[in-house]
Amino acid sequence: MHRTDGESFEAVRLWALRLFVMTRKELLQLGRDVPLLLFLIYSFSLSVYISGAGIAMQLHNANLLVHDGDHSASSRELIHRFHEPYFRFDGEVRDPKEGVTRLDQGTAMALLDIPPRFHESIAGREPVAVQLQVDTTNAPQGLAAAAYAGRIVGRFSSDLTLSRLGAASDGTMLMPVVDSAHRVWFNQDQDETWFQSISHILRMITLFAFLLPAAALVREKERGTVEQLLVSPITPFQIMLSKVLAMTLVILAATALAMVTVLKPVFGVPIKGSVSLFFLVTMLYSFTIAGLGLFAATVTKNQAQVGMVALLVISPMLLLSGITTPFEAMPSWVQSLMALSPLRYYIDVTYGVLLKGVGIELLWDSILAMALLGGVLFGMGMWRFRRQFQ
Amino acid sequence: MNVRRITAVARKEWRETVRDRLFLLMSFLLPVVWMVVFGYGLVLDVEHVPFAVLDRDQSSLSRDYLYRFIESRYFDYQGSVSDEREIDRLLGDTAIRMAIVVPERFEQQLLEGRPVTVQTLLDGTFPLHADTLKGYVIAINRAFTQELLTDFLTRTRGLVPEEARRLAEPVSLETRYLYNQEVRSTWSMVPALIMFALMVASPLLTALGVVREKETGSIYNIYSATVSKAEFLIGKLVPYFVISTINVVVLWVIAVWLFGVPFKGSFTAFFLASLLFILCSTGIGLVISLLVKTQMAALIITIIIAMVPTILFSGLLVPVSSLSPGAQVQAHLFPAMYYTDVVRGSFLKGLDLKAMWTDLLVLAGFAVALRLVAYGLFTKRPKA
Repeated sequence: MHRTDGESFEAVRLWALRLFVMTRKELLQLGRDVPLLLFLIYSFSLSVYISGAGIAMQLHNANLLVHDGDHSASSRELIHRFHEPYFRFDGEVRDPKEGVTRLDQGTAMALLDIPPRFHESIAGREPVAVQLQVDTTNAPQGLAAAAYAGRIVGRFSSDLTLSRLGAASDGTMLMPVVDSAHRVWFNQDQDETWFQSISHILRMITLFAFLLPAAALVREKERGTVEQLLVSPITPFQIMLSKVLAMTLVILAATALAMVTVLKPVFGVPIKGSVSLFFLVTMLYSFTIAGLGLFAATVTKNQAQVGMVALLVISPMLLLSGITTPFEAMPSWVQSLMALSPLRYYIDVTYGVLLKGVGIELLWDSILAMALLGGVLFGMGMWRFRRQFQ
Repeated sequence: MNVRRITAVARKEWRETVRDRLFLLMSFLLPVVWMVVFGYGLVLDVEHVPFAVLDRDQSSLSRDYLYRFIESRYFDYQGSVSDEREIDRLLGDTAIRMAIVVPERFEQQLLEGRPVTVQTLLDGTFPLHADTLKGYVIAINRAFTQELLTDFLTRTRGLVPEEARRLAEPVSLETRYLYNQEVRSTWSMVPALIMFALMVASPLLTALGVVREKETGSIYNIYSATVSKAEFLIGKLVPYFVISTINVVVLWVIAVWLFGVPFKGSFTAFFLASLLFILCSTGIGLVISLLVKTQMAALIITIIIAMVPTILFSGLLVPVSSLSPGAQVQAHLFPAMYYTDVVRGSFLKGLDLKAMWTDLLVLAGFAVALRLVAYGLFTKRPKA
């Protein structure tokens, strides 16, 4: 039976051979661009390390100035409770005005002002308020500082209540207090390097998966070499697919490099789920983004234009899909817009597989959404590409 | 240095840009689109966090407690579950970010005046998120405890509610938010977005300029022409400098009129710093253009160098002071950080030239250094 199919087998072999030759051509061409290759390696190694180790979005050592108008045991006790890792005591000021000047200059983040007679008021059981002035030019950080300060003062206050009631009552210390035991899952120590280094890899994959094939295709258009390809026996589909295949291979290799050189040995990211599933999904994601890139290449005429289109499309994806900031907080129009961003789904799958250790049974919906988007984008690119050269 | 030759190069460059309609359109459109999309869309507050509850007590007090989470704008109630395995699944699927487990005999214990521990399970994949959530939970617990305590003291000690309340909270904290009283993240975001737009779009304007001529071979016209190295490099920059300067004014108008961000500082200082910053960002593109051989390399390297440090190390999202020492070095080696200080300072803090002169000096230093590097890299006598 196979013998009668000899001819069609030969056709398939020829098709695959042509695809292979074209893919090889792309890889060779990329391999000869030494500055670009070096930059690719940097982006997936040292750059991942710098971002992973360097960025702490949690409030960290906020410079705190204190104006202590009381200089008593109680005020010292309170000041003592503002400590690292959240606050860093940065000295005392004589005059609140001096503190505000420091806040203006940006050399301090918060100013704690303890009123005179602080100790007396506490001893005399009068309610007393301390004041905190926070720099909110960076709103989330300012809010975080205020929240930590609130926690510290709240704890100070409830300790006072406890000791008073303890002293006043008949020995038993019964208090109706609701306390929370927090259990943080998937990353018990809230090690930020895991999140940041993985985020950085996702960012790099997105940028390269878009730019490499898009620039490669538009370059051929610009120089006119694509005309040569189109009069050859190679089909437009093979031209596009070979570029995507070559660049996807490069990206998978680079991702593996990042995991082997930085993620595992340096940051000790526990890769809980299946590595092969992660790479399969990364391949699917690269295809999807490459489809988007190729579509952009078909609507542009030169590399400068494709660069501009890339900026227009990629920067919202990078900033709004949830690798830089939490997704839930985004306004609903952003959330619906980002339903079109393949990165939105890739993030869930990546963190799901690498940190949470969940498998395809929970992630199938995200993978399906990504595959659908990829199919549509690739199809659209294909359609435009064919139409342009008919 | 001959002004006529500079004008000639600039005019040629300008014509090329103007004839490329899509490129010209994008160079004006991109900054505006970013400003509007990110100004309205990029929200950094941790709000509407999806959560589920497991109420083992099912009493009126436990419902009262949980209701405080449900009605808070920080949380988004996704429903109640009946066992812990359900929570595992929901957290794994990122359907929820937090779960609260109220223990049995919650009401009974509290009414008897005994402490109770409620369990919260948090998704730690985004550590900042988890940390902020802890803060919210603690704040709600504290408010709830204070009410319970006041009530308890009134009941058991016969104090009047006023006195009980005083005993329950002897020391309080008053917080004043400086520069941005309502703590709007738009106000802190929008001025920094001017930096983002100039830093990310401007280098790409110049990045392909020289390498394109190298690739197509038209650079040989320059090699054999009388135009000098410096004249050529200056002429190349002029059109893009003009485009970016127009963008600064447009972005400033959008920030002030559309977003209503107060501009408290000196416009002269802001404008001067912006011009210096444009010289830096276009200079980065120019240097990359001189370093690489292909447009493809120039394009990819420029986009990544412009975008990644700008998102991470410019003070846009994370203040430079909370970076690790290594990352701080990188932040200081990149002009964006200084300009972010100037922009936020001029808009929100009302700083003038005197308060910001060091930042301006550094920006000027970067601009000059980048020009010198470009001058050194460009040669009219290419190797065979």
